[in-house]
Amino acid sequence: MSEGLNYKFLVDTFFIALSGVPITLFITVVALLFALPLGFLLALTRINRIPVLHRFAQVYVSFVRGTPIIIQIFIVYSSVPLLLSSLFTKFNIGMNVYDVNPIWYAFIVFSFNTTAVLIEVFRSALSTVNRGQLEAAQSVGLTDVQAYRRIIIPQALVVAMPNICTATVNLIKATSLGYAMSLQEITLKAKVAANVGYNYVEAYIDIFLVYLLLCSAVEYAFKLYEKRLSKYKPSVV
Amino acid sequence: MEKYFDASYIWESIPLLIPFLKMTFMVAGLSVLFGTLLGFILTVAKTGKSKFARKLATGYTTIIRCTPSIVLLFLVYYGLPAIGDRFGLNLNNIDTAVFVIITFTLQFAAAMSEVMRSAFQSIDNGQFEAAVSVGLSNSQAYRRIVFPQAFVVALPNFGNSLLAVLQEGSLAYTIGLIDVVGKANLIIAGNYNAHALEIFLALAIIYWILSIAIEQFFLKLEQVFSKGKQGLKTA
Repeated sequence: MSEGLNYKFLVDTFFIALSGVPITLFITVVALLFALPLGFLLALTRINRIPVLHRFAQVYVSFVRGTPIIIQIFIVYSSVPLLLSSLFTKFNIGMNVYDVNPIWYAFIVFSFNTTAVLIEVFRSALSTVNRGQLEAAQSVGLTDVQAYRRIIIPQALVVAMPNICTATVNLIKATSLGYAMSLQEITLKAKVAANVGYNYVEAYIDIFLVYLLLCSAVEYAFKLYEKRLSKYKPSVV
Repeated sequence: MEKYFDASYIWESIPLLIPFLKMTFMVAGLSVLFGTLLGFILTVAKTGKSKFARKLATGYTTIIRCTPSIVLLFLVYYGLPAIGDRFGLNLNNIDTAVFVIITFTLQFAAAMSEVMRSAFQSIDNGQFEAAVSVGLSNSQAYRRIVFPQAFVVALPNFGNSLLAVLQEGSLAYTIGLIDVVGKANLIIAGNYNAHALEIFLALAIIYWILSIAIEQFFLKLEQVFSKGKQGLKTA
């Protein structure tokens, strides 16, 4: 390993790592699509203290925040196949559990995780919107749904946006753990390429660069969007 | 391979795992210690006058924030010995714990520099000026007036970062560190991969309890230290 970096491998593997980006983004988008509405609804149950759901959301958030994501992956990856196989045998479905694409497990884990993160994000964002805003909206004759859609959510979203950005970046970073589920994303692809010639240093430099580009791009996109949203920002007089 | 769920494995494996928390704590503790020191240096660079140092510190934070822990871990694990090779140092036989500590120190420093910077900037400049105007020297003003106030502001974020480092530390098993997660994987391997779920659940329970305890500890600490803090009401 003392010959220094293998530059040809470095360049070749960069494109291999890059080919893992679509799957990373796909998981990120699916997890967000699932987590955004669910997180918002559960945040509402927390704020309005809806009896059972409020407690459930509290324990759920505490669990996800209290355990490492890799252990959540381990748990889902070892429990869901158990459940599935018992379901398959019960209903005589001729399908092997090991044929299930690992991407389904990734969807479950990352949606599960991101929902909990977003509950907290939305909860803090919603609590920054003054209660009077809702009352004022109702007093001019808007229904609850209208009031939320037109008055509360736009204001809460401005506050929540930076945190949603952080959550998204963290989610992208967390998908690098998909290798534990043999998911064909950036990290695993580059690592497999490195296995042939033990070029691990080069492979990890490539992975590092790809994540750096990806996360910087996402952060930049969010910044642009935040700028557009900021017209809803209540100005301080 | 018969597979069924047996909850007794959860309770049996917890006592086996607990002793290995020592390694987890040691790695997290040392990372926090070194990370705080490095983070302080970064904060000084970020709030200081030198434009170059400011750019450097901000760039460092951005890069670290965009790197998944596992990638940083392997980069350090494979990269440092390779760099050492260049200079004729043999770093291949160093304890894996060292690599883990270096990785999480780098990461914690980036997080801490942001925590400390925002805490420092949240303290009104008038506090410092008032302290100097009554005759305190600069270092006295920082030590007695600015720092105690910034400390209270930083405390909750410090707690969150500490929890994050503890949890990210669970990835250390990937380079062969035998901490709680590493031990859990050994137990599972010893069982011929049966009952993995129960042992992972035991791990989750350990981490969960630990996190709640640390969270509560920091909440208490915050209450103790914020007794002198004056809210808007008294202004």
